Amino acid sequence: MQEDGLLDLDRLRDSLRPDTTVVSVMHVNNEIGVIQDITAIGNLCRERGIVFHVDAAQSTGKVAIDLAKLPVDLMSFSAHKTYGPKGMGALFVRRKPRVRIEAQIHGGGHERGFRSGTLPTHQIVGMGEAFRLARLEMAVENDRIRMLRDRLWSGLSTMDEVFLNGHLEHRVPHNLNVSFAFVEGESLIMAIKEIAVSSGSACTSASLEPSYVLRALGRSDELAHSSIRFSLGRFTTEADVDFTVQLLRDKVGRLREMSPLWEMFQDGIDLNTVQWAAH
Amino acid sequence: MAYSEKVIDHYENPRNVGAFGRDEAGVGTGMVGAPACGDVMKLQIKVDESGVITDARFKTYGCGSAIASSSLVTEWVKGKTLDQAMTIRNTEIAEELALPPVKIHCSILAEDAIKAAVEDYRHRLSASDQTA
Repeated sequence: MQEDGLLDLDRLRDSLRPDTTVVSVMHVNNEIGVIQDITAIGNLCRERGIVFHVDAAQSTGKVAIDLAKLPVDLMSFSAHKTYGPKGMGALFVRRKPRVRIEAQIHGGGHERGFRSGTLPTHQIVGMGEAFRLARLEMAVENDRIRMLRDRLWSGLSTMDEVFLNGHLEHRVPHNLNVSFAFVEGESLIMAIKEIAVSSGSACTSASLEPSYVLRALGRSDELAHSSIRFSLGRFTTEADVDFTVQLLRDKVGRLREMSPLWEMFQDGIDLNTVQWAAH
Repeated sequence: MAYSEKVIDHYENPRNVGAFGRDEAGVGTGMVGAPACGDVMKLQIKVDESGVITDARFKTYGCGSAIASSSLVTEWVKGKTLDQAMTIRNTEIAEELALPPVKIHCSILAEDAIKAAVEDYRHRLSASDQTA
């Protein structure tokens, strides 16, 4: 992993072994929104006869996906990340070159034996309709959301000691992951209860550990503890963004006034030289 | 995180936020925790000549319950002697604030902060006695 959140292709190439069977990559990362180069990764796998699986849960409706061209063998999709119903997903399985997978759910032999069980027709229709709308609106919607994202980042980035996590260009416009140094993420979320944001991922919200994604980018634990993920979407307006910027400016300022780390930073103390009592 | 009304009250209206000068006479400063763990508390006490804590200030980097725990102890130590302040237990803090189990460490940190502040005050007092 590089500092910008993109996979280091040279390191990936070096770590592929003769007995490597599968490479599995998230198309778009759920915490920092960066888009991996799945064409390049897929080509590396093809040359070596390795099966390539892509988790596209976060990318549908945000990044164009043409499976006729992409060197991808398996791709998973989820309906609810693209305004579809919860509890519905799909797996693309390439026929040529053929990928052989084994069923994990057995029974009546539904879906060509891949996954037995009665099909939830309403969920399937809901997912299909959500994806149809996403495809129709994606180009226009992405431009609109990119403008909002840029407006949000230009409002936040002029504050002191604020850092963007993940590459600015190679990311979906819907995500902005920001570290507000010297302010702890959970206390910040409590302070901005008018808006819904998240620190880390939903998968780890019950844990006190800092985000392993941000740690993998080389962020310090302190900055990882100080990060907030903003998500923009179909229903976000310019007024919402302006409100958010003002709210963050107020509350980050308030919390920094009560942060001993901010005080030390203002006094010119390098926090890395302090002997902390770990607990 | 589902917090009690007391935690939310202390978080939204923290008592005694601020700082005394570290070198001011009668001040003891305790700083506990680490940024990497997500909590750092700085607690300061002001002690009069009879050994009674007359005032307290805090600054905390941490979650809502860390801020609430430190805010609460600034209220509790005021008017207590140093020895009385040293008897405040984390269990009392956790009970008063109804902290969720995953946040008990915040109350432990607040107890540690009191001890560190009292020790710092005593250390500085004996150092100034020796030089006097």
